[in-house]
Amino acid sequence: MNEQTEMMMQTIKQFADESIADIALKIEREGIPDDLYQKIIQQGLIGATLPPEMGGAGLERSSYDAILFQLAKASPSVAFHVFMNNSIILRFLEKAGKKDEISDVISGKERYGFAPGPMMEGGEDDEGYLIIEPNSKNLIVDGNDGSIFISNAKPELLNKKPLGLRGLRTDIAKGTGSGQKILSMNDSELIWEEGSWHAAAVFLGLAEGALDKAIEYTKVRKTFNYSLKDYEPVAFRLSELKSEMEILKNTLFGDKEDTLTGMMLKTISSEFARRATKYALQFHGGYGYLEDFGVEKFYRDAVALNSIMFRPVRDKRSLASKIYQEKSGFL
Amino acid sequence: MRWRRPGIFSGSGGGVMDFDLPEELEEYRKKVREFALKEFKAELAEKCDREEIYPDELRKKTFEEGLVDFSNPWKTMIAIEEMCRVDPGLGISATVPYFGAEVLMLHGSDYLREKYLSRVAQGKAMMGLGVTEPGGGSDVAGLKTNAHKEGNKYIVNGSKMFITNGTIADFFVMLVRTSPPDDPKKRHHGLSVLVVERNFKGFDTNHLTGKLGVRATNTGELILNNVEVPEENLVGEEGKGFYYIMEFFNISRVFVAAQSIGIAQGALDRASAYLIAEESRGNFVGEERKFKLAEIATRVEASRLLMYKAASYLFNYRPNPMITSMAKGYASETASFAAESAMEITGSHGLKTDLERLFRDSKIMEIWEGTSEVEKIVISRMMMKGDKNE
Repeated sequence: MNEQTEMMMQTIKQFADESIADIALKIEREGIPDDLYQKIIQQGLIGATLPPEMGGAGLERSSYDAILFQLAKASPSVAFHVFMNNSIILRFLEKAGKKDEISDVISGKERYGFAPGPMMEGGEDDEGYLIIEPNSKNLIVDGNDGSIFISNAKPELLNKKPLGLRGLRTDIAKGTGSGQKILSMNDSELIWEEGSWHAAAVFLGLAEGALDKAIEYTKVRKTFNYSLKDYEPVAFRLSELKSEMEILKNTLFGDKEDTLTGMMLKTISSEFARRATKYALQFHGGYGYLEDFGVEKFYRDAVALNSIMFRPVRDKRSLASKIYQEKSGFL
Repeated sequence: MRWRRPGIFSGSGGGVMDFDLPEELEEYRKKVREFALKEFKAELAEKCDREEIYPDELRKKTFEEGLVDFSNPWKTMIAIEEMCRVDPGLGISATVPYFGAEVLMLHGSDYLREKYLSRVAQGKAMMGLGVTEPGGGSDVAGLKTNAHKEGNKYIVNGSKMFITNGTIADFFVMLVRTSPPDDPKKRHHGLSVLVVERNFKGFDTNHLTGKLGVRATNTGELILNNVEVPEENLVGEEGKGFYYIMEFFNISRVFVAAQSIGIAQGALDRASAYLIAEESRGNFVGEERKFKLAEIATRVEASRLLMYKAASYLFNYRPNPMITSMAKGYASETASFAAESAMEITGSHGLKTDLERLFRDSKIMEIWEGTSEVEKIVISRMMMKGDKNE
């Protein structure tokens, strides 16, 4: 990890300790409070990777991933808010040449929600479609064929309690909406692929958040007169998971920058996050099942994020085609 | 009330093995499934999950239909599986009003069975089992709740945690310490089971909310402050409580296996329906996802057979704790595997449907009635003792 990334890790850890840790449960129950949205803007976390001439901070890849990683350890919802704005919304707007809109997002003047499923006409799903941050004025919509739209439709929200990203008031909406197409599928696919590094940072951050809780809990929780950490299955499993975590972090914060490595890391990290959070909850026993202990949110979010950020067919096919260097995995 | 010997599963054709349930039970399975599909309405399931409300009307309806017959464990097992297949929160809620009844059936006096169990069997009362304590969990013998005798009463002090039906049950079958262990290494000695009514003076409860899943079920904390329990509420013999509860777990673990298989089958139903619909819409469904579906289906089938084997031993009065732990442990891990795999197969579609609820409901299967780790301890200890599969 280079010096700049190391410094960013420390800075964001402090920010998370001071501004998120104490309200992490409240975020899950009630959503991210407005003052935290403001602090995120003030810290320059939105627009982190855009060049200064566009109003961004011009951070290098690993420093930005340090932000996502540290935020996800405290609150995957907050991390996803920053990821969604930088790696999805601003990237799409940048590619589409929407300078004014970019400026509004960075300054906090406008907020965009994101609908990753089919919302546009022709792609209706009987179950409706998912919207993240649905109360925003505008929506970025992943269209039926992978192209990207901006929409200011006001969807009819069903007030569902979602599996994950509860801090972003994620909901299901009915009906279809019209919108302005801003990117083709090919452009959007490239952006998704580039975003693999950052998705991996969120997966690994939330996994480490869960593992750290499990390690602390198993030190103090006793059963049959011994700490849980004294039992082989607990100590060995958590140690193995922490080892995997360190190896994956070495890649995340290492020298490599290429898209293929990012895609590989995302693939492995999404599976790892689900496995690590599951063990973390398991070793909390019944207490892990209660939201008060702060570990079940990681378990929910790991699976929810996998459903949103890891597209089982498209992503695996892209990875396979890059590895074979020709079209593959399509039968 | 005693268990009736079902006299089934010995092979309808006289063969050594017959993998079909008797016609009577298959009919019963159909009846339960039809009921669950009709009565477990999506709005009810969602409301109970969101607001953490116990569906009492559904409990009454299930009772009126005679769908949970605790005198017939085969039927109970099948009812649990089929109901949890449709919705685990509602399914468990509808089948759990009798939780702990087997302890009274097997060891309660005629007085206790008549006074308490008959009301439960008539649908007029609900019961619960009070074993787990704050900080206790898997270490049952380490419990702190104590009861000492004063005249013809026990005075009970302590607390219980994660108790199903905790704030709605009328009485609890409760494990307490009535004397110190005669040997520090034998902490399971000196434990007894008492029937403690909710309206006894000094008894208080807290509703535990904010659970990850099975949010329609009621979970509570019990607080006992100098609660006076009549001596006739002692179940069986004083000092034998640990054995009664372990015997109960051997039974209840088969029912948790049924809950787990219901969840796994429910996840399989939903994932396969999704893939079939995708293909019918002309969308590509590759073998990667179909193979995952095949893995779920295989594990569900294996879990169910293992459960039938455990049930067959148990319900024919030859309990085999090792097979029971295998059945519960494997089925519960299958529930988690199936629900998570179904989420993976369906992608963002799963987030919009009740599959996500199934996923949240599935995890508790690996925790309650003995964690996966406890099941492995039971299995490995018996293996090390040379107690093989017999």
